[in-house]
Amino acid sequence: MAEFSWEVRSPLDRALVAGPYGVRGDAGVSLTEIRNFDLVQVMARRGMAGDMAKAAKARLGVAAPDAPKAVQSSDATLIWSGPDQFFVLSRGGKHTTETLAQTFASFASLSDQSHARVLISISGAKARTMLAKLSSIDLHPDAFAIGAAAATSMDHTSVTLWRGGDKSDGQAVFNVLVFATFAVSLWHTVLDSAAEYGVAIGHSEELA
Amino acid sequence: MRITCPFCGERELSEFSYLGDAKPVRPAADAGEEAVYDYVYLRDNVAGVMAENWYHGGGCRAWLEVTRNTLTHEISAVEPAAGAGARQVAK
Repeated sequence: MAEFSWEVRSPLDRALVAGPYGVRGDAGVSLTEIRNFDLVQVMARRGMAGDMAKAAKARLGVAAPDAPKAVQSSDATLIWSGPDQFFVLSRGGKHTTETLAQTFASFASLSDQSHARVLISISGAKARTMLAKLSSIDLHPDAFAIGAAAATSMDHTSVTLWRGGDKSDGQAVFNVLVFATFAVSLWHTVLDSAAEYGVAIGHSEELA
Repeated sequence: MRITCPFCGERELSEFSYLGDAKPVRPAADAGEEAVYDYVYLRDNVAGVMAENWYHGGGCRAWLEVTRNTLTHEISAVEPAAGAGARQVAK
């Protein structure tokens, strides 16, 4: 049998050019693609949402979100993705489909989304102004606090949006999970929307 | 028009797709050709309040039953449709 060597590359490998983009000067928007994460979608089987929630609490130490929220545990983020379902976002192979199956096998179906989604982290002084062009969600700090999440659409593309912890300089961080095959399209739309504010583009392996 | 999804909150129309009348019920296997024809093809053209199935495909991907006035677009109720979220079925 032939030996295959698969090189894991981001769907944004070509589209993402690290550095400044758009108007010169201080960047108003910072776009960072987060690479090499583990992402598992957990979906309760019929009538077993309560058991799934208990299992999540026992395994991950925090209650699974039962409303549009993102909950932080010591080594994972649990993000609501629909009724009775959520994502487990982590890195370093701690929470993969294999390890989570031991916890959830009887109550929930698991689906590995690690290579099926692209994670874009958006921050900067003009991040909200830029996102207002793409999203109808009210991102005002009073309406969309840290830990708020939404399953919504941007530019007719389904995304999972949530607000992470603020950066050390106090700037809000908005995380967007998008299907891998739609990532380049959304990326260009985001760049077009952000260009007038000046953009700092980069990628990272650290979860925001 | 905006629809208040019971799971997500108020969202714009473009996140939803319309299926149609929520009232028709699939007839029993022995109900006869006429009942099946009625179920598949015949729809009331309601001018007023009707129950409709909507799909929140651009959001939480739940099916919803929306009570809407077709004359004014006023929405008086939005409920998860049967099967929208495993928990809803368990109730």
